Amino acid sequence: MAEVKTREFVSASDSAMKDASLRRALRQVGGGFNEARLEAIEEVSWETWEEWREEARRTKIHALENLDYYLELLHDRVTAAGGHVHFARDASQANSIVAEIARSRNVKIATKSKSMVSEELDLNQSLEANGVEVYETDLGEYIIQLAGETPSHLVAPALHKTKEQVSELFHQELGVPLTDDIEEMARVARRVLREKFLSADLGISGANFLVAETGTLVIITNEGNGRLCTSAPRIHIGITGMEKVIPSLQDLAVFLRLLPRSATGQRLTSYVSMVTGPRRNDDEDGPEEFHLVLVDNGRSRLLADPDLREALYCIRCGACLNICPVYGKIGGHAYGWVYPGPIGAIVSPALVGLKEAKDLPHASSLCGACREVCPIRINIPRMLLHLRHRLAESPLETENATTTGERQAAQAYSWLMSNPAALSAAAKVGRLVQKPFVSGGKVSKRVPLPLVSKWTGGRDLPALPRQTFREMWAQGLESVAELRE
Amino acid sequence: MVEKQNLTSLGVPKDDFLDHVRRSLGRTHPVVPPPLHLPLTENLADLEGRAAAARERLEETRGELADRFEGTARARNWNVFRTSSAEESIGYITQLAGRLGISRAARADQPVFGELGVDSALRNTGVELFVAAHDESTSGPRVRDRIIESGLGITGADYAVAETGSVVVVPRQGLSRLVSLVPPVHLAIVRPKDLVESIDDVFLFRRLEYLRNGGDMGSYLNFITGPSRTADIEMKLVVGVHGPREVHLVLLA
Repeated sequence: MAEVKTREFVSASDSAMKDASLRRALRQVGGGFNEARLEAIEEVSWETWEEWREEARRTKIHALENLDYYLELLHDRVTAAGGHVHFARDASQANSIVAEIARSRNVKIATKSKSMVSEELDLNQSLEANGVEVYETDLGEYIIQLAGETPSHLVAPALHKTKEQVSELFHQELGVPLTDDIEEMARVARRVLREKFLSADLGISGANFLVAETGTLVIITNEGNGRLCTSAPRIHIGITGMEKVIPSLQDLAVFLRLLPRSATGQRLTSYVSMVTGPRRNDDEDGPEEFHLVLVDNGRSRLLADPDLREALYCIRCGACLNICPVYGKIGGHAYGWVYPGPIGAIVSPALVGLKEAKDLPHASSLCGACREVCPIRINIPRMLLHLRHRLAESPLETENATTTGERQAAQAYSWLMSNPAALSAAAKVGRLVQKPFVSGGKVSKRVPLPLVSKWTGGRDLPALPRQTFREMWAQGLESVAELRE
Repeated sequence: MVEKQNLTSLGVPKDDFLDHVRRSLGRTHPVVPPPLHLPLTENLADLEGRAAAARERLEETRGELADRFEGTARARNWNVFRTSSAEESIGYITQLAGRLGISRAARADQPVFGELGVDSALRNTGVELFVAAHDESTSGPRVRDRIIESGLGITGADYAVAETGSVVVVPRQGLSRLVSLVPPVHLAIVRPKDLVESIDDVFLFRRLEYLRNGGDMGSYLNFITGPSRTADIEMKLVVGVHGPREVHLVLLA
């Protein structure tokens, strides 16, 4: 499984915020993708959009509620089409399945199209350990692979890199001249990877959707690398999370309308490819073998939890990342694992353990924008609150985000706020005590405030005002006018 | 050569995996869910009825569909040439080959080519045309090599979708997966009868195909909507990464 760095969230987000080129890139993403999304919705009308969302949500609820049935149907139909289906309980099992197919089929070179699940499994590393050369072929993923990094966005994995950095990377790794022409960089990738496609024995893809009724794997792409991966090599392995299954071919239509519009504002991506088993005898070309690897790896924990099950409805469009004020400031890497942003703050804790990722549910202002833009209307803020609640109530000290000090402070605050006399007395005492430390309406940074130091580290603590609202009220409105002057 | 061992089921046995899923859902026994939209085992007669009604609807709105398809296709960056004259359409194709300065082209083997007679016209301009279809002399890797050498790939369309401006190809005998993908330029010929209104129509007809063929609708299907694109570097749009950079439609309507 991919390395888990979720414990470093606080320090990682702190340094991300100081990275000027990352912040520039993030501003582009937030604006660009989101504006394109709105334009694409307005074109079909908001009313239609809401109908689509409703239909998609209903389909996901139904599919997940009956996941065992649809997985069995999918298995039967893929098998009937001449493919093989393998079930993996966890990451290491999934990696072993792929390694075993590669070994027994004497695979030397594999090309891969974009797949977040393969990132989750750290599949490349596992294949390389088994002597297989693996090439990422999505341009963004290829850049990341050359740089030895991980994706920072669900849809645009290399958005944190500037064109100068990409040019330098290609120069170093591929020996091509430096350039500031992005088209030239794309041409270089086309040339280098075209050769790999044609010599690869194995093509690996993820899946955006799996259609149970017909046993079909669906991938949605723009570059054409997904088509090459599923067409040129003699073996195709599709690897994906078990939650991707939908009942029938006709259920697919609404998702094809929602996903590209939500992700990049496109009405449809350049390519939608639908794979049903290996090539048939009469076909001109296509892989001789088709394998589908269905991965649980913690998803059944989300399935079993009625409070969190809807996280499995996610279709990985990235719209919640593009709108999120937190993601917009810190980017994807700070989240410390494969799935960033608001939905990642729910999925990652479920897959790597809440204890391991206890900061993630707090990485949100609960503004609700993620829920507003989600094409499946996933109630992300509710689940984030639920996880916070679970952390606060956890009997395990190691999982417990609420310290005894915080608990006592919260109790004291709640008592104070429900006792007007005490509140008024406290305000008077507070004003006296703060006097030596106040300047310009703010409490000096030199004052140690252990309980709120995380908060005051990045912000000024405002001083208590000269008068409380209750005192103003008692004196009548004239005193407010005086204060203004 | 490694002996082909049986790889039918690696990992967890299916029944154990499904049992775990079932228990996560709080169930102990399999339950057949009520159909969501349409029964998955819709009978052939019902489906044929729906498909016939759809075909009638499409027939009645053919002209309108062609206009709408032309508009959405242009918006998705297809170069659209609309004509009802076979001669003009052949002229467009030979001119394109001339402008590209190519010496080799590949085409699929689909009925539309018999109707049009593109081959001799292209060959007369000095282009070596390869028909990427299965026979003794051109099978296997040779087909692939000839497609790779081609500067232009020409296909028909199984469906042309007005809603999205997509050409749908269903690779099979006579239609290589690579003809519309590997050459840097792709040209698709769309006949009026290929036009459908929406992606729902495509899936309705594929579903009918599936039931008619006893549970097989072919191994592959591609919606092609404009040229290959990427915006992976600084969100700047670049056309033509792994697939064609330039795509053309000859709309015979």
